[in-house]
Amino acid sequence: MTQTTSPAYYTKRLVLYMKELWRRREFAWFLAMGNFKARNASTVLGLFWWVLNPILLSLVYFFVFGLIFPGARDIVYLMSGMFVFHFSAQSLTGGANSILQNSKLLVNLKFPRLVLPLANILESLIGFLVSLAVLLAVQAVLRGTVPGVSILLLFVVVPLHFIFNLGLASIAGRLAVPYRDINNFIPYFNRVWLYLSPIIWPLSFLEADAAQSFAEFADKNPLFAFISVYRAALIGHPLDPNMLVASVLWAVVVGVVGVGVFVRYEGKIARHL
Amino acid sequence: MSRPSILVEDLHVRFRPYVDRKPTLRRSFGRFRHRQQENVVALDGVSFSVEKGKAFGVIGRNGAGKSTLLRCIAGTLRPNSGRVVIDGRTSTLLQLGVGFNPELSGRRNVYLGGLAAGMRKREIDERFDEIVEYAELCDAIDRPVKTYSSGMFARLAFSIGMHLDPEVLLLDEVLAVGDEGFRVKSLSAMQSLLGRAGTIVYVSHSLDSVREFCDEAIWLDNGQVVASGVAADVVKAYRDSVVERPSG
Repeated sequence: MTQTTSPAYYTKRLVLYMKELWRRREFAWFLAMGNFKARNASTVLGLFWWVLNPILLSLVYFFVFGLIFPGARDIVYLMSGMFVFHFSAQSLTGGANSILQNSKLLVNLKFPRLVLPLANILESLIGFLVSLAVLLAVQAVLRGTVPGVSILLLFVVVPLHFIFNLGLASIAGRLAVPYRDINNFIPYFNRVWLYLSPIIWPLSFLEADAAQSFAEFADKNPLFAFISVYRAALIGHPLDPNMLVASVLWAVVVGVVGVGVFVRYEGKIARHL
Repeated sequence: MSRPSILVEDLHVRFRPYVDRKPTLRRSFGRFRHRQQENVVALDGVSFSVEKGKAFGVIGRNGAGKSTLLRCIAGTLRPNSGRVVIDGRTSTLLQLGVGFNPELSGRRNVYLGGLAAGMRKREIDERFDEIVEYAELCDAIDRPVKTYSSGMFARLAFSIGMHLDPEVLLLDEVLAVGDEGFRVKSLSAMQSLLGRAGTIVYVSHSLDSVREFCDEAIWLDNGQVVASGVAADVVKAYRDSVVERPSG
């Protein structure tokens, strides 16, 4: 049995797993598109909700926090952070649900289980890209500006953010199977995460005397890095190379750990459903 | 004798009941007690083999381990010990409409169900018309599946399952749904699968259909094989035991 625990064995298994996942990519895509379409199929506004949801969400925070923090009166700043946050927050909730809500599939059919969190992230990605289009439109109307070549940064940061979120969703999905308590916990975690991220408070807040102890760890937040790069890409903030490096590191670490943890566990999922 | 299509050797599956239940307040209070509970043995040393071209029935009381056995053969549940060897492309019809999204059209669900079961999109494109025709859906294919009658739903799901061109088909009481016409049709589809040297494992409480349709059968009770052999004999043995002990 020594052979079955060697790193070479695990590498080989992981390669085979990824091949099978790639073979089932159409399944992941149809699952994502299906859920995307079905989610609002019975509503009057239908797919339009995918545009409306991020706008309404931003307006709520704009009115509530605009009263408290002067910096949050900049709706373009707020929206840019909020949409990025929302994509990651959805990955956590969706990732946790993706396994539990598809028990019928899991019990009946054999396929790489990573398809489920993957489909969930793909579904969120569609909504996220729509919301970025909304952001650009709002910016064009309110500020009269459009991003220049910096928008090409999206081709770097969106894949990184996607991998990071897949890692998050995998970890949440892995944990939610034996510990369904996770589902109750995630909304609170997300709310704290929102407040710790540079969304409802302006970056200048970190320079305030009262915020010094917070400023020390504020940029250790993965979303701090991702949001910073997105803002450089979309709303004319200068690009901080450190934040780009941090985004790469977060994506690699969380992505690899998340997927690894999930794949190692997946044989046991069926026993818990 | 050719290689068996399905080989099951000394299969053991145990569940721990406390993780098997939905979390409830009562469970969290009673957690300590549940932790000390013994494992529930779902399968306890089950072995058998099925030859190509044969229909194999699995009968037994509720909770005897029939569904657990099918899940192990389907590969969705990893046994604690023992092994399952399958020769051929497997299609499972343990539940109808797996992978379906009732909000979406029948057309979309043909793709969802087919992809979930392991088909490629291109294969579904090629067989799409056949699938719809076999399911007798015609124009309804573009309506949301939630508007389907249970018969239409069952026909569509069964049609997808049969168009996977399985060599091994796992069925769990699927024939119980649908009207007489559908029953006859699905029976003939399964017979033609057997004629092409396909293999069918059929789990059912309908003893008559097991006796009529299956060549061989096993009777499971408490995760163990009580009897196995020619389907008619096994069904008779099981029937006799139920008569002796009516309440089960």
